[in-house]
Amino acid sequence: MKLKKLIELIEGNLLTDHSTDNIEIKGAMGADLMSDVLTSIKPESVLLTGLCNPQVVRTAQIADIRAIVFVRGKNPAQEAINLANEENIPLITTTLGLFDTCGILFQEGLPSFETQTEDDCAP
Amino acid sequence: MTPIQPEISDKRAETITKTEELAYELRIHEVMTKDVHSLSPDIKMEEALEIFQKERFSGAPVEQDGELIGILSIEDLIHALRENHIDALVREYMTTQMTTVRKHDPVVEALKTFARTNYGRLPVLDENGKLAGIITKGDITNGLLKALQRNYQEEELIRYRASHLFEDIVSGRTSLILRYDIRKGDFIHGGNASSNIKRALLRLGASPQVARRCGIAVYEAEMNLIIHTNHGGTLRIEIEPHKITMEAYDDGPGIEDVEEAMRPGFSTATNEVREMGFGAGMGLVNIKRCVDEMRLISSKDRGTNLYMIMYLNDTDENPQTVN
Amino acid sequence: MNLEEIIHNLNLKVLTDTRDFSAVPVKSGYCSDLLSCVMTGAAPEGVWVTLMAHSNIIAVAALLDLSAVIITEDAQPDEDTIAKANEKGVTLLSSPKPNFQVVGELWDMGLRAKQD
Repeated sequence: MKLKKLIELIEGNLLTDHSTDNIEIKGAMGADLMSDVLTSIKPESVLLTGLCNPQVVRTAQIADIRAIVFVRGKNPAQEAINLANEENIPLITTTLGLFDTCGILFQEGLPSFETQTEDDCAP
Repeated sequence: MTPIQPEISDKRAETITKTEELAYELRIHEVMTKDVHSLSPDIKMEEALEIFQKERFSGAPVEQDGELIGILSIEDLIHALRENHIDALVREYMTTQMTTVRKHDPVVEALKTFARTNYGRLPVLDENGKLAGIITKGDITNGLLKALQRNYQEEELIRYRASHLFEDIVSGRTSLILRYDIRKGDFIHGGNASSNIKRALLRLGASPQVARRCGIAVYEAEMNLIIHTNHGGTLRIEIEPHKITMEAYDDGPGIEDVEEAMRPGFSTATNEVREMGFGAGMGLVNIKRCVDEMRLISSKDRGTNLYMIMYLNDTDENPQTVN
Repeated sequence: MNLEEIIHNLNLKVLTDTRDFSAVPVKSGYCSDLLSCVMTGAAPEGVWVTLMAHSNIIAVAALLDLSAVIITEDAQPDEDTIAKANEKGVTLLSSPKPNFQVVGELWDMGLRAKQD
């Protein structure tokens, strides 16, 4: 899915200086625990999260995440936006909650882009 | 841009591809002229001519109450001169049928517009439809050349040099050591070191997969130093042609039960840290999953040493016997 | 919608004591891994989707009168947490799928977030 379309679907707002027409998003993950994001997200996906600190951008850069959506109308600090511009990671904010954001994108066919956890978390 | 059709040698072809890539990467606002002198529609053409002569302009946007309403070019001035009507107002001769571009669009959009139309300059609008600048073909050429130079001189050269680093040096055992001091509680800069390490690995020629795995492991280790230590600690990365050794060490408080600390979900993090998205008890588990070898040594008095090793031969795809 | 339909459709594992789930209404959905957000955002008789499995989730779910908590990615709460859930009448369900997928399937069934 093109990032431009994704932004339209969730009525999002682009916070960084990016042109969204040619950015392809291959899947999504919704989570607030950065360790979980680092463990399981696949490259070229969008991270949907309620967390809103510079660590999220760092996590995205380290894990090759293509874009970040901040839900519930959260606006990151200017330093996070600057960092995202430097690292070329589009930041988007939406007033929707994580539940509706996930639901809408799932229904539009965006696949879950999280590797299923292995036996590590099993009892 | 005036169409230049150079003879294409292999050497040139490389440059051309790079330029094309840049035309997509560079955004219009990065190359446009930002401090634009705009004209009022209610001054006389004569005045505009004086401004153009003094400032050596060949065109300027016309704004009224902060809104872009037209563009005045040398051609329009000539038009007025021919009709002997130099005391007319700018609004009578300016061009109002304008093609504009958006500041966040890639430069290639402006190039396409120039190719499609005959304009020499295009007004650039911001997200609110207000004038943000002017772009000319000359701006694009300059911007591309600058970026090309920058890209080549910086990144390509660094990458080339870095990836040949080990070939150029003859020694019994060559290695490169990166060291970062991490301060306790420094959430603001948390991740900077890991980010630099990841970039260094890419420049040294590591595959994106290896760089990503090392980045994740060292990031978790960096956050552990920030969250769990008394005074912070040190990240020490040793890069050798065949392996990367990452070490995180601190002077306390040490881990009481190392085995328990390795259990998925075990965490001693405060609620505050959890609300920042960390401390879910997955960090060490995550590190173990990312690297080829991991060792955790800790004692109550001496602090903690975490060793993470990643081997760089292609045994992953190509299992072969190691001597 | 009731909890029985959700358990059946999403093929969820019930971690706590079983009861007549068809009599438990579900009116909205909520997804977050941050307790402070859940405290302010989740509505009574809703289901909460999270990959957190530590015991703090029980107190929050009981306080907010949630219909159930769906723990994703097969994260496993320990025995004390499950015992505490049973004691407080909180239903814990489990899925191997991640948050995004579970929420997507709930959305497909017609469940929405609470509208403020």
